[in-house]
Amino acid sequence: MVSDRSQTLDLIFHALAHPARRAIIRQLSGGERNLSELASPLRMTFPAATKHVRVLERAHLVRRRVAGREHRCRLRAAPLKEAMLWTEQFRRNWEARFEALDSLLEEMKSEEQSRSRRR
Amino acid sequence: MNPEGLQVSTPKDTTIVLTRTFNAARRLVWTAMLTPDRMRRWMLPPPGWSMTVCECEPCVGGALRLVWKSEEADPAGVLYGVFTEAVLHERIVHTETMLLGSGQPIGSLVEAHEFAEKGGVTTMRITQTYASKEARDGALASGQDQGMEAGFKQLDAWLEEEEVRT
Repeated sequence: MVSDRSQTLDLIFHALAHPARRAIIRQLSGGERNLSELASPLRMTFPAATKHVRVLERAHLVRRRVAGREHRCRLRAAPLKEAMLWTEQFRRNWEARFEALDSLLEEMKSEEQSRSRRR
Repeated sequence: MNPEGLQVSTPKDTTIVLTRTFNAARRLVWTAMLTPDRMRRWMLPPPGWSMTVCECEPCVGGALRLVWKSEEADPAGVLYGVFTEAVLHERIVHTETMLLGSGQPIGSLVEAHEFAEKGGVTTMRITQTYASKEARDGALASGQDQGMEAGFKQLDAWLEEEEVRT
């Protein structure tokens, strides 16, 4: 069970590790697109775009259906959400520390300013 | 999402990269990150823990040692390491091992801090490198446990409310 989930996450993180695939996901967040619509703004060949879409499909991030000669791609948000939630608590714990660091830095800055004013 | 908020990424199987910008010169960020009396201010301990020892010598061969106590145990946790690289206000690398108070090891990693300043804003990049993918995933998930714990507490509170109502 744990290893199933871990494998799923591996596929998702692998899929998200490439900037072209993140760009595809961004495009698909605006709605369904066909493969050539995805390929052209990325200046990508059709086979290259197909390859990236396949990696996204394997991670269940994208669903592709064939309509006539068109391959329509659609984003599947649920696995993406799971992957984001998985690291979200880690991120939040560190962000809480960095927010404390923000206010410490503000204090240090005004300490410096008042010191230089006294000089 | 706040573009200046913390970004977490996992570019390799064994690493976690944290990137965050701060509205201050990098020498101030360096000092805040690496001076014991400043570190105590931002290194928020896990719930119920407090820091009893904070030693940090940010130079090659210098030691890092942090100790926490809890109501149940003193020490409750120990973190120690050594600085292996240091370029003042630019880049610093240290090893780090975390133990429970009982001496049970929790994990080891190598952590690199890089500071870049532009127009009075400092971008800090922390790269954590773990011994294995499993160790890296464990570290990422450790936050999740706390999140789930908080989730369960919320559920408990909600269930109690429901019970009172019915």
